[in-house]
Amino acid sequence: MNDTNNADRKFQRELHSGTASLVLLSVLGNANEPMYGYQIAKQIEADRQRISIMKQGAFYPVLRSLENSGLLESRVEPSVSGPPRRYYRITYAGHQTLARWKEIWGQTKDFVDTVLQGVTNDQER
Amino acid sequence: MIKSVEEYLALLKNELAGSDPAIVQDALSDSEEHLRIALENAAEANPGVPEAEALQPIIEKYGSPNEVAAAFMEIEARVPAGLARPARKRRRSAMSRFFGVVADPRAWGALLYMLFSLATGIIYFTWAVTGASLSAGFLILIIGLPFFGLFLLSVRGIAFVEGRIVEALLGVRMPRRSLFAKQDLGWWGRFKSLVSEKHTWMALAYMVVQLPLGIVYFVLAVTPLVVSLGLIVQPILQIFFHLPVAQIDDVQYYTPGVLMPLVTIGGLLLLVLYMHLVKSIGRLHGALAKAMLVTD
Repeated sequence: MNDTNNADRKFQRELHSGTASLVLLSVLGNANEPMYGYQIAKQIEADRQRISIMKQGAFYPVLRSLENSGLLESRVEPSVSGPPRRYYRITYAGHQTLARWKEIWGQTKDFVDTVLQGVTNDQER
Repeated sequence: MIKSVEEYLALLKNELAGSDPAIVQDALSDSEEHLRIALENAAEANPGVPEAEALQPIIEKYGSPNEVAAAFMEIEARVPAGLARPARKRRRSAMSRFFGVVADPRAWGALLYMLFSLATGIIYFTWAVTGASLSAGFLILIIGLPFFGLFLLSVRGIAFVEGRIVEALLGVRMPRRSLFAKQDLGWWGRFKSLVSEKHTWMALAYMVVQLPLGIVYFVLAVTPLVVSLGLIVQPILQIFFHLPVAQIDDVQYYTPGVLMPLVTIGGLLLLVLYMHLVKSIGRLHGALAKAMLVTD
């Protein structure tokens, strides 16, 4: 039982490690103004209407690594009522990368879906 | 169960023990930012829920210290360090560090605080001394204890407000919620906890100390500022208004023409040095306020 759980978790983690970048990049790509981490997490939650399968804490290292690769830029702004907030904004390179990644994602999704459908069809037969 | 943001951060730090200090710092600051904003929003949505309770669903969504630490370490392991992580802090030259202080909001905040502290210092000192002596005088009367209690309560309130001012102007994290969370104590219990807590007396001491400090800060804020501004405009004053740079008895001293630019430059340098002084005083006072006004 524990082993399946661990395997599931590992599979999920490996899937997320790529998709999280795409998700965050696209949220910021659609945003008109810079957003801070909590805002991004809220927005993803609102869009999905249910609890995200990804922990919000996992977004932050991804945001940082996207920034390190030059796809995002950030600045820290003090806030009157709370700790300073790090606002992220997508860069020009980020927009270009997002467009390519969307394409790759579409292909991957189609490919995986066709293969999975093939599997279920085989089973039904 | 994790009861406070501080506890969460301590656990997270534990989980990350041994990692690159920069990752630890990133993870801690990101997590603190998220948890505090989330807590604030939760408090706005339904006020009255204790922090420990409000924190549970937030952590549930954010991830346990264990999960968050794993996420940070995994990303870090995947990103080749040398390539993707250019110098964390851009090295600033000595020049830009020296002159950059003029554009530093922290320095201007500290300046404002220093000017402000004379007024607040007088108010705090008067309030503390008047309240303490009236309380002592009233103690033999029936209104003695209630008066004393109200006075101590006001001291705590003032300490909280001062904390907000310090955080706004000096950028030191201070409590955002006033203490006194226990509701089930009753009047006598409240009074006893008010009298017995170190926090109350430290706040009272802070209010007294704030007067001499305020005077020193005000003088330190005004004098060098006036001197350096005077030096900067000295050539103009001398050329257009024939004002001497100094006058001793009947002898008036004027700056020779060649030295005039130097006087102005000297004034500008003095102004920058002065901003450094202001900034470090702000830092020192922030530490003092934190030590005296925050309960451990």
